[in-house]
Amino acid sequence: MTTAEGMKKYLAVYVALLIITAVQFVIGYQNIEGSQLIVRFLTFAVIETILVIFFFMNLGSETPGFIKFFIYFMVFVLATMNYIWTDSFRLLVFRLTGYMPT
Amino acid sequence: MSEAHLSMGAHSAPPMEARPFVMPSKKFAMWLFIMSDVMTFAACVAAYSFVRNATPQWPRPFHSMTNVAVMTLIMLTSSLTMLMALVAAKAEDKPRAIRWMLFTAAGGVVFTLLHIRDWMGMMNQGVSLSHNPWGPAAFGAAFYSITGFSLLHISVGTLALIVVAIRYKGGRYTADDVELFNLFWQFIGLVWLFIVPPVYLMNVAR
Repeated sequence: MTTAEGMKKYLAVYVALLIITAVQFVIGYQNIEGSQLIVRFLTFAVIETILVIFFFMNLGSETPGFIKFFIYFMVFVLATMNYIWTDSFRLLVFRLTGYMPT
Repeated sequence: MSEAHLSMGAHSAPPMEARPFVMPSKKFAMWLFIMSDVMTFAACVAAYSFVRNATPQWPRPFHSMTNVAVMTLIMLTSSLTMLMALVAAKAEDKPRAIRWMLFTAAGGVVFTLLHIRDWMGMMNQGVSLSHNPWGPAAFGAAFYSITGFSLLHISVGTLALIVVAIRYKGGRYTADDVELFNLFWQFIGLVWLFIVPPVYLMNVAR
């Protein structure tokens, strides 16, 4: 790939990131329910992550072994972080109802 | 044991495992650092989201997103200018690479100043680590810790970029070192894109 082609690719990804971010800001001002908002923001964040990692950080040019190692490791870590959600709902519900376990 | 066998044993290298991650060791170290930093930031975002979700009447204090939008634009643009520096460095165009690195560093400085401005605005409204005018005390601590951690990365990263540019100009660093720094800069730009939605966009005043 020539330098000019490389820059064209980077510019295209940059414009795509700008558009996605602008859409996120527009969504932020809409009166959308919290859980729906999270789903939309997370979807856009995942798309942005793929664009940045594979184009701006050039992960795609590494060996298949390293790409697999990186993706499996990161997906596992980020997925297991979501283990906390049930407890946050527990705190929220108990506080609102005033119910305490005996 | 035959003479031929002894000779082979003396000269042949021991069998080695195939190398799955063929890349320069410095680059591998940078990827490992980024992976560990992903865990730190993910823990921060998870902790923030936990507190926000578990707290009824979480404040929505942000009336205008202009400052945050400009900060995001600067961060994204500095990611592009860093890539331009990398492309120039790979093409061995040193003056151009240094120029783009300095543009990127300028973006980092402006971002840091706008971030401090954002914090000053919050402080003027009475938001501290343990108190805020809207109720839940955890808001200030959660806000300052997650945005502060990002600010620390970007401000220290900006200083590091200036050092990289100086050393690259002096010949101590090569295009490979610029590539390493590009990995870090793209990473902190990406982190900012993960911080804006939960911290700012989900707390727009309605």
